[in-house]
Amino acid sequence: MIDISSLAGPLVNGILWGGLFALIGMGLSLVFGVMNLINVAHGDLVILATYFAFFLSTGLFMRYNLPFDMDPILSLVIIIPVMFGLGYAIQKFLMSRAFKVSAEAPLIIAFGISLIIQNVALRFWTPMSRSLTPPYVLDAFVIGPLRIRVVYVIAFVAALIIVFLLREFLRRTYLGRAISATAQNKSAAHLMGVNTGRVYAFAFAISMAVAAVAGVCLGLIFSFTPEKGIQFLIIAFGVVIIGGLGSMVGTLLGGIIMGLVMTFGGLIDTNWQMLLVYLVVIVVLAARPQGILGR
Amino acid sequence: MLTISLLWTNMEKRAQEISQEPLLKISNIDVFQGTFQALWDVSLEVKAGEIVGLIGANTSGKSTLLDTISGLLHPAKGKIEFDGQDISTMEPFHIVELGITQVPEGRGIFPDMSVLDNLILGSYSKRARSRKKENLENVYQHFPILETRKKQMAKTLSGGEQQMLVLGRGLMADPKLMLLDEMSLGLAPIIITSLYKALQEIRERGITILFVEQNVRRSLQEADRAYILEVGRVTLSGTAEELREEEEVKKAYFGV
Amino acid sequence: MKLTIPGLGRWSVPLVVAIVVLAVLPQVGMPRAWITYLFQFFMILTVANIWSLHAGRSGMITLCLAGFIGLGGYTMTIGSYFGIPIPLGIVLGGVIAAVFAFLVFFPVYRLKGVYFAIATLVLPQILQYVFLIWDPVGIPLIGGGAGYTVIGGTLFSRIDVYWMALAVAALSMIVILVVSKSKLGLGLAAIRDNDNAAASSGVDVFRLKLYSFVIGAFVVGLAGGVLYLRSQYIQPITAFSIGWQMTAILAAVIGGLRIQGGPIVGAIILTFLHFWLAGYPGYSMLIQGIILVVIMLTVPQGIAGGIGRLRGTRVHRTALQLATGIADRIRGKDNV
Repeated sequence: MIDISSLAGPLVNGILWGGLFALIGMGLSLVFGVMNLINVAHGDLVILATYFAFFLSTGLFMRYNLPFDMDPILSLVIIIPVMFGLGYAIQKFLMSRAFKVSAEAPLIIAFGISLIIQNVALRFWTPMSRSLTPPYVLDAFVIGPLRIRVVYVIAFVAALIIVFLLREFLRRTYLGRAISATAQNKSAAHLMGVNTGRVYAFAFAISMAVAAVAGVCLGLIFSFTPEKGIQFLIIAFGVVIIGGLGSMVGTLLGGIIMGLVMTFGGLIDTNWQMLLVYLVVIVVLAARPQGILGR
Repeated sequence: MLTISLLWTNMEKRAQEISQEPLLKISNIDVFQGTFQALWDVSLEVKAGEIVGLIGANTSGKSTLLDTISGLLHPAKGKIEFDGQDISTMEPFHIVELGITQVPEGRGIFPDMSVLDNLILGSYSKRARSRKKENLENVYQHFPILETRKKQMAKTLSGGEQQMLVLGRGLMADPKLMLLDEMSLGLAPIIITSLYKALQEIRERGITILFVEQNVRRSLQEADRAYILEVGRVTLSGTAEELREEEEVKKAYFGV
Repeated sequence: MKLTIPGLGRWSVPLVVAIVVLAVLPQVGMPRAWITYLFQFFMILTVANIWSLHAGRSGMITLCLAGFIGLGGYTMTIGSYFGIPIPLGIVLGGVIAAVFAFLVFFPVYRLKGVYFAIATLVLPQILQYVFLIWDPVGIPLIGGGAGYTVIGGTLFSRIDVYWMALAVAALSMIVILVVSKSKLGLGLAAIRDNDNAAASSGVDVFRLKLYSFVIGAFVVGLAGGVLYLRSQYIQPITAFSIGWQMTAILAAVIGGLRIQGGPIVGAIILTFLHFWLAGYPGYSMLIQGIILVVIMLTVPQGIAGGIGRLRGTRVHRTALQLATGIADRIRGKDNV
């Protein structure tokens, strides 16, 4: 007899985790949609943002004798602009040159960047597993038999907000429209006077800003090490593939599905959890690379 | 205030017609696509207020020429001047700012955006943004169907409507010179006729037009002057009447 | 006297000579440290060759090298618990890796470029978790990493392992040479340049890519077995880690991705790099990553490619004359 109430926990948590995964996937989807580049360093960049938050919320006190630690969510005020700038710089100085070299160059360079970031993080923060631990990190809403952690809800709400913001941005502002247009028909956009170089740089920058939010949420929910980047890259990839490219709502859906796979996989054990996630990604890739809601 | 500015633009137009300085002047350009040479020593002129046709078959290099004018490609040799400025090495978005807009082959719509969004995107450049409202009114006047369908997704429009959309989008860019690549591809003759009629109306507004066509007869009907392009070289040029008299053209005219 | 091995062409003489020399070196009193250096060189050369076979010559960017290495290593190790002699275990490792490659290729080959690359990236991760879950040996796991030691591994000396590595590296060279000269190689070159054009010329794209993928997996599987024979210990987290993939890509790119002999140059450079950086633990991967990015942006054709650009220049002509002069001398064509 399956106890329905014992399934409610993984169900709700899976949906909420979906918010986090959607956030991680959105950045990847944006870059992929606009410039057809799978940023294999994306996962590592998200974790980099997490480490920034970690530094700001513990390092300030310990290392620099400042009388406060920053709450991770508050630290987004600093981290978002930093990641935005980083993204802009990466596209402008590295990736744009890579496109001119050859078709494989951007992939290889992203791979190099991925390893650079992992090892920088290893150097500064060791392979030890870390977490973001503001005072509310373990608080939970208790609804009947369910314990729903506050941070899960925060991540989900953040995802909804960002989906909404991104959609409006892409539809209503000139820059957003230019980004959308470039993703749909690059040479026509060119002919409209769109400076595609700038569009790419902004798209990457925005992707990184979203990654910043994703990173903070990630650190609140999971523990992290410098080497977890690849895992989250694969999850993000799964999210994008399932949800379909170009659809922000699809990314949300994709995130929820991946979240559910993870929570239900977790009922077996943590190793099976990841194994199932990876198998789902491969199966979806093999069966329907354009996703469920994709163009 | 309004009358003075109207007087001024009229004087400008008159001045340009009198000065005979061509709006667009292409001098002896060579253009390569990769290692393949697509254009050989091509020269061409378009004066303000003209409608000029570029006639040739698929492999003649017509699209390459338009893309070069628009800045998507750059000439390896030779010069392109627009309104007195050398634009040979400029980036496409800069060239759009100067007032050249291209309506590309194959419609080039943004399929997942609405008609209105497509049109608004046309006024992306700084020069066009300030005149967005007026230009939108003009576009709706030329192509009322676009106003009817303004909320629909661009990909749901028929071929003829899509062509009107991209023409309208080109107009939104507030151009001085419009480049049209194979406007009539895949469209019924009735629709083509109405499109060219709209083109004449657009010319009345003071916009210069350079269009590319495979159909010789149609081109000579609509253009003031024309150039014939074969395998990357200009083989014939002249006014529409002159060309109609030419032997070679007569052969093509009657469809050999 | 013409010494050519069928299929290898004019590289047969240098290759055989090199193999013989390298094989004999340990016996004639080469310093012990060199055994370690050369072992590393052989491993790097093997993976660089295979990655360049896939990415440079078959038009597939693969990121699953770690999977083949780990599979080879695990097969050999697990085999050692069930009485399978280690050399056989190593060969079996290659076979298992090849079978794995064969099976995964079907769902994955239709994917284009980046999709394909990420799919291959997922594979080693999957394998890692499979081995974290599955414990076929059934003994209490050694150490915190859930790993196994190799039973009977100590029976093989450093020199024995060195020769095995040499054999695998030589095999990888032979594979590369044979492939490039054969019909397979011609087809692959066509595919690399333009999938569709190749297909419409009658090239069976699927089959050629499959062969290339599977053969490469076999060789790397062998390398994995040899590698873990040397380390004597294997665990899931490191067996499938991205390190060797990075090294392979870097070596192939530094040497020159589409150049004959590029991987050799790259492997030499990387061996030096590895040992130089061994003095700075923790910075090795970082520096490799930085070098990769820098090289891709500045000299994407690699060093051997850079030399190719010298073609026609006086430097090249002089070098060529020297080289052919020596080659002629060996073949017995003296101008006396």
